[in-house]
Amino acid sequence: MNALAWLGGLVWFVWDWARVSLLRRPPPGATLAEAYRIGVQSLPVLLTISLFVGTNLALQGFKAFQPLGGQRLVGMFVAMAGVRELAPLIAAAMVAAKAGTEMASQIAVMRTREQIEALEVMAVNPMWFLVTPRLYGIVLVMPALTLISIFVTLLSSLSVSVFQLGLNAATFLEFATGSIRVYDLLAAEIKAMVFAVIICFVSCYCGFVSTKGPEGVGAATNRAVVVSCIACVSFNYLVSQVLYG
Amino acid sequence: MSETLASLGRFGQFLGRVAWRCLTPPWNGADFFRHTWTVSIRCLGPVVAVTFPFGMVIGLQGLAIFDLFGAQRLLPSLISVAVLRELSPVLASVLVAAQAGSSYAAELGSMRIKEELDATEIMAVDGLRWHVVPRVAALILACPILNTVGNLAGLAGGYTMAVGIQGEPSGVFIANLWVFTQPGDLVAGVIKTAAFGAIIGLIACYHGFCATGGAAGVGRAVNDTVVRATLAFFAANYLLTSAMFG
Repeated sequence: MNALAWLGGLVWFVWDWARVSLLRRPPPGATLAEAYRIGVQSLPVLLTISLFVGTNLALQGFKAFQPLGGQRLVGMFVAMAGVRELAPLIAAAMVAAKAGTEMASQIAVMRTREQIEALEVMAVNPMWFLVTPRLYGIVLVMPALTLISIFVTLLSSLSVSVFQLGLNAATFLEFATGSIRVYDLLAAEIKAMVFAVIICFVSCYCGFVSTKGPEGVGAATNRAVVVSCIACVSFNYLVSQVLYG
Repeated sequence: MSETLASLGRFGQFLGRVAWRCLTPPWNGADFFRHTWTVSIRCLGPVVAVTFPFGMVIGLQGLAIFDLFGAQRLLPSLISVAVLRELSPVLASVLVAAQAGSSYAAELGSMRIKEELDATEIMAVDGLRWHVVPRVAALILACPILNTVGNLAGLAGGYTMAVGIQGEPSGVFIANLWVFTQPGDLVAGVIKTAAFGAIIGLIACYHGFCATGGAAGVGRAVNDTVVRATLAFFAANYLLTSAMFG
């Protein structure tokens, strides 16, 4: 029942934001600053995670195809699993963990210090002022982050396949590039934007409705990352079903 | 750079002190079981909510690929290999880091900010022994339990996709489920997730225990916990996978 009320509140929050801010220009200068911050903050984390996702994809693909005698298929497996599903999802999970939690805790701290009420007193709509730049910023950088994540994933699985597993680099590349279509990359970009919108609204909502004080900030941050992850994985299924089903 | 090295050093010290208290009595058994129970219950929903759709997605993409070769009967084998060896351990641990790790950091962090930890220390209660050790130990036990739940949910997701939505025959699915998997895969999953649980618990408790700077500091501790714990156990995952499957 509580979860339902929370979800209803989230929908109401999105509607409230859209009603005021959808047709209005974002606060000047803030969008690019947010985009820069989100992108630069998440990049090192994303690079590291993608690196290890790639290594493990190669290891597990090799191990799974070995009984079939299909070691050459590793390239295809890595390309398909990485580009279609894992890289966009991992990028989303890491952006949720880094930028999403930051949004939630910033807004929750503003709630604790009554800065949001102060904005209202100054006749500035807090949703427009706080959510809009974050939303446009994250939608702007998320596709780029996803492309970088795809690239690093493929690169690291190529290095593991060649240097650790002793496969032929040319065969790997042939199978990998043969199984990535432009459509797959476009689908990954669409997913990235969907995830960006989800992460932004969920995290900002968690911040807005947090209770005051340090526990409130901690709980809001905690809930932001958990709900974002669950929502991204569920929507990933829906988007995959629509684009590939 | 030197700041990073210094915080690594502090983490190493913390690690040593926690390890020493893990090995010497008295142990706080009641808190350990209580934390294990709460973590398992609180992470159960998120873990199922993530592994189930992921199992469905593997089913969806796997069918698209195996249709090309007319080898649909390989799909359940692929699903069970992917879920048991890699996806369930990793996804369950991501969710444990997000849910349990961040709530540990938030709890300990707000206890530190409100000077409750300092107060208990003045009363000669060892904070590490009473607050940190049971939490870390609880995660080491809870992660494998949640991994098992994740395994089941992932397989159920794959089954729902293949049999329920795409209309593959159910008997073929069940018969081919365990073709490539061995008991060793389950053991490897347990070892992996226990190690991930230790990593997540230590990093979360370190950030919470050493939080500074008011309410914003708690937020920062939670944020750092999720990111660093995830990074650390992904790196450990590569090493463990290489060691056990390589």
